[in-house]
Amino acid sequence: MRAIVVENLTKEYDGLRALDSVSFEVIEGIFLGCFGPNGAGKSTLLRILTGQIPASSGRAEVLGLECRTKAMEIKKAVGIVPEVESPPSYLTAREFLYFVGKVRKVDDLEKKVDRWLGFFDLADFGGTLCKDLSKGMRQKIMLSAAFIHDPRLLFLDEPFINLDPVYQRKVREYLLELRDEGRTVFMCSHILEIAQRLCEEVIILNRGKVAAKESISSLQARGEDLETLFLRLVGGNDAAPP
Amino acid sequence: MPLLLRMMLKEEYRMHVTYSSRTIFTALPLFICLVSFVVGISMPNLQRSVAIGELLSLTHVGIFLYGLSVGAFGFLGRTYVERRYGKNNFLIATPTILPLSFRSTFLGMFLRDLIFYISLVLLPAFLGLVLAAPIAHFSIISIILVFLALLLSFLFGISLSFAVSIVYTRSVKAFTFIVLAFIGLVIGYGAFGFYGLELILPPLGFQFGVPPVSAVGFSAPAFIIASVSEIAVFVLVAASLVKESYEGTASRFQETLPRYFHGFRFARSYQPLLAKEFVDIVRSGTLGKMTFSFVAPLVFLSFTTWYVNNGLAIPVGFNTVFYAGMVGFFGVLLYSWLTNLDLMDYYETVPVTVPKVIKAKLLAFFLVSIWISTSFVLAIAWINGETRLLWLALPVLYITAIYMVLATAYLTGLSPSSFLFNPEILVKFAAISILPDLGLTILSFSIDSAPLYAIAGILLVCGVLVACAFLFYRGIEEKWGSAGFP
Repeated sequence: MRAIVVENLTKEYDGLRALDSVSFEVIEGIFLGCFGPNGAGKSTLLRILTGQIPASSGRAEVLGLECRTKAMEIKKAVGIVPEVESPPSYLTAREFLYFVGKVRKVDDLEKKVDRWLGFFDLADFGGTLCKDLSKGMRQKIMLSAAFIHDPRLLFLDEPFINLDPVYQRKVREYLLELRDEGRTVFMCSHILEIAQRLCEEVIILNRGKVAAKESISSLQARGEDLETLFLRLVGGNDAAPP
Repeated sequence: MPLLLRMMLKEEYRMHVTYSSRTIFTALPLFICLVSFVVGISMPNLQRSVAIGELLSLTHVGIFLYGLSVGAFGFLGRTYVERRYGKNNFLIATPTILPLSFRSTFLGMFLRDLIFYISLVLLPAFLGLVLAAPIAHFSIISIILVFLALLLSFLFGISLSFAVSIVYTRSVKAFTFIVLAFIGLVIGYGAFGFYGLELILPPLGFQFGVPPVSAVGFSAPAFIIASVSEIAVFVLVAASLVKESYEGTASRFQETLPRYFHGFRFARSYQPLLAKEFVDIVRSGTLGKMTFSFVAPLVFLSFTTWYVNNGLAIPVGFNTVFYAGMVGFFGVLLYSWLTNLDLMDYYETVPVTVPKVIKAKLLAFFLVSIWISTSFVLAIAWINGETRLLWLALPVLYITAIYMVLATAYLTGLSPSSFLFNPEILVKFAAISILPDLGLTILSFSIDSAPLYAIAGILLVCGVLVACAFLFYRGIEEKWGSAGFP
C-alpha cells in the first residue's frame, strides 16, 4: 500500500515558490528521509502532508486520505513532531501528554504517559510547566506526544534537535524498532550521519524541486554516502567565511 | 471541548499567576467586590444628581466597550498561532499537530475568557452590590436584574468583537464595512436621534423594561430575546469563519530599517531599537490598530461629555484643557500595543537590557502618539472656539501623556496587559492615574469661573507630574535592570 502519494505538488507564498511540481511516492513501511538545504521546501512539504496548510496546486495523499479535504483524519492517524515548536507553556509535561492522549482517545493513557515520561527520564519533571523545561526536555515532550498513540505513520521534522547524544541514540533505536515493525516514517533532518543509519529511502529537495529520490542501498552499491550525494546535488559552498 | 476548556482555564490562570502570585491574583475579585460595595453604598447620594436610568445607560455602554476591548480573539488567536515557534506556546495552536480544529480552540478561548471575566470581574461586582444592598436599601431582585442586563451587555460586546475580529482575518474590506456601519448606527442615535440607544445595545432595552428603572414591561422579554439571538448569531458567525489553516506569509518588503535608523540619529544609543520598533509598527499593521484603539476611547469620551451636557442637561464645563488631560491619560493604551508587537526572547541574545528596550518603546510611543493626540486637542479647541486655551491645554496634554506612560512602564515593564491583572499593581496604577486626573478635571472646570486659581492649580499639578515622571524614569532602571525579557 502507498502511505504517501504526491503528484505535481506546488506551493506558493506571495509569489515565492516554495514547492515546484514535486512528485514522489512512499510505500507503507518505508523509513524515508527528506533532505535539502535551508529553504528547500522540506517543512512546507511536511506541513502540506499533515494537513496544516493547503497546496497551491497538485495532489497529496497520506494513508489514502486527501490532504486538503481530510486534514483531521490524517492528524488522527499520524504522529507529528513539527520543527522547533514547543508544547503549551502553561501546562505541565504530564498534563500535556494527558491532553494529547485524551484528544487522540488513547487507551490505558496513564500507563502510556508514565511510559513516555520514563522513556525520556522525565518522570521527575512531569509536574513542571513546559515553559520551565529546557529545550531538549521540551523536544522530548513533543516526541512523546507524537509517539503516544502508536501511529502507523510518523512525520518528524528535525526530531533530534536539542537532544543530547544519549537520547539521540535512544530515539534512533526506537525509530529503528518502528522501522523493523513496518511503520512508515517521513523524517526531515540535517543530521545526515543519523539519517544514513535510519533511512531506507531518501528524497533530496533543492529550491522546491525534487533533486533526487533513491534508496540507501543503491547509494551504498555505488560507494556513495548521503553526505556526498547531498553535496553533489545541492552544491557545497567553498567560499571563505566573511 | 470540556477537557480543552478545562486545560485552557488552567493555562490562563497559571499565566496570570506567574505575573504576581496566587494570593495576589485571587485578591483581584476581592478588590473589585470592595470597589463595587463602595459604589453601591454611594448610589443613594449619586441618584440625587443623576437618574438611575441615566447611570445605568452609561454603565451599560462602559461594560459593552469593556467586552469589545477584550473580545478580539480573531487578532489574539492569530498572533498566538503565528508565534508558536517562540519560547511560549499555547493550547490554541495545538491543531497544527493534533486532530483538533482551530474552530474548537478559538471557541475554547472565547469561552475561557468569558468564564474568566465573569468570575473575576462581573460576579465580584455583583456580590459587592448585594453586600451594599442593606445599607443602600436596594432590592435584591433589582440587583439581580441589573446584573443580568449588564452580563448581556458584556456578552454582546465580547461576542461582537469576536465576530468582527474574525471577519478581519478573512476580509479587511468586510471588517471596514462593519465598523463603518456600526459608527453610522451610533451617529444615527447620537447626532440625529433617529432611534434609542437600545436599538444598538438591546440589553439596555431589557434594562429599561425592568426594575429598578421601571416595572416589568412588555418590552423586556422582546429585548432579552433580541439580545440573546444577536449574541448567538455573533458567536456562530465567528465560529464558522475561523480559518483552519495558518500559512504564514513570505511577504517581501523594501529594506526600510536603514532609513529609519538614519532618521533617528537624535535617539543616539536607542537608534537601532527605535528603528526596529518603527519597522515592527508599520509592517505588523499595528499602526492602524493603535490609532483605532486610541481614537475609540476619545470618541467615547466626546460622546459621554456630549451626553452629560445635552442628554442629561447637566451644565458641566468640559473644555479643551479637560480633554487635553484625558487624552494624555488614554496614551497608556498605546504603550500596551507597543509591548505586544513582537516576541522579545531574542533580545536575550544581544547586549541590551529590559530598561533600554522599555525606553526605546517610550520614545516610539511619543513619536507615534504626539500627532494623534495633538490633532485631537487642536480639533476640540477649534470646534469649541477655545483656541485661547491651547497655551495651557497642549502642555497639559504632553505632561499627562509623559507622566502616565512612564508610570505604566515603571509599574508593568514590558508586560502591561498582564501585570494589570495583579491587584497590587492595579491599586497603585489606579492611585497614580485617578488622583491627578481628578485634580486636573476639577481644576479645568473652574477655568472660566476662577481663572487665576484654576490655572495656578493646573500648573502646580503639572509640576508635580513632571517631578513624578522624572522619578519614574529613573526608577525604570532600578526596577527592571535585572529583569529578563518576557
